[in-house]
Amino acid sequence: MEEAHVCTTIPQDLVRRLGAEAHSSSKATKFTEAYLKNCIQQPTRLDVKNIVTHKAVILGYSRPKKDKTKRNSKKAKGLSARQKRTMKVFRIKPEHQRYELFLPLHKLWGQYIIDLCGGLKPTSNPQFVQQKLLKADFHGAIITVVRSKCPSYVGTTGILIQEFKHVFKIITKEDKVKVIPKKNSVFSVEIEGFVSHIYGNKFELRSSERSAKKFKVKGTIDL
Amino acid sequence: MAHHLKDKEAYQRLNYLYQAAHCVIAQNPDNVELARFYCFTQKTIARRLVLRQDPSVKRTLCKRCCSLLIPGVTATTRQRRKHKKTRFTVVRCLSCGQTKTLLNDPDHRLWTDRPEAQLEQHKQPGEEAK
Repeated sequence: MEEAHVCTTIPQDLVRRLGAEAHSSSKATKFTEAYLKNCIQQPTRLDVKNIVTHKAVILGYSRPKKDKTKRNSKKAKGLSARQKRTMKVFRIKPEHQRYELFLPLHKLWGQYIIDLCGGLKPTSNPQFVQQKLLKADFHGAIITVVRSKCPSYVGTTGILIQEFKHVFKIITKEDKVKVIPKKNSVFSVEIEGFVSHIYGNKFELRSSERSAKKFKVKGTIDL
Repeated sequence: MAHHLKDKEAYQRLNYLYQAAHCVIAQNPDNVELARFYCFTQKTIARRLVLRQDPSVKRTLCKRCCSLLIPGVTATTRQRRKHKKTRFTVVRCLSCGQTKTLLNDPDHRLWTDRPEAQLEQHKQPGEEAK
């Protein structure tokens, strides 16, 4: 209704009384055009007339955000170090720390070593065997601490269950997990009568890195 | 197998670690941590020495937490359907929840199972010997 009122021409009697005059439609458009021209702040570079004629009004627009969850789900990523720590990924629960559970593992290890060295005979070259042992895996081996700077470590025997960078985790016959640092101690590994010594000082590496690393003759070990 | 001599030890080690993980799980199915540790070492060795592992091995390891995936023990295995026709086997790791989706298609074959791949493998040693 209101719109209709605005668009209607002024009645004749009102024209006479106010002294105002209704514009013809062509005049009115010209007037509005001029009015709009004045109203719009002049961005000098833009063609104002073009804006008015096309009436292209751009409202606020923002690009739709990319769906992050979709991309993450496509590619499986490993756990971060913090997640590993909170989940205790490699921590062995106390109820699993039983010695007899690890005997089959030791048996498997014995087979593995014999297979690796191509059959241990009294005639086989000890140097050749030791060369192989450098790159071999020691998880499941029975190791004994022969010498150490700390005397309380000497004599502990057990099956190696985990090997870390600076530490061996050993399970003893009394069902106890012992953590023995590699530094400043010598371990002995027995394989069917063949005894080999491991110098912990030289072994301070992650077990996975040991297979890729070259061992160099460097210095002596006095213990 | 003279040309293989250097990597042979590494492969034996990988094999041993894989077996050790199975051995630990067989002794005590709850001891996931130790098996995971062995598989993790196996994975890092393979990464360091740039060795390829067979898909059959890789499909039994969790991509996220490196634990062994044994159906019913450490993983659930389900059949799912997508787009009505294609069927998938979905293996879900019980410890971290990561899923593996494998296509069920009797005609689909992995590259290593195909006869062409076998041929190529036989060719290579011959070339190196020359």
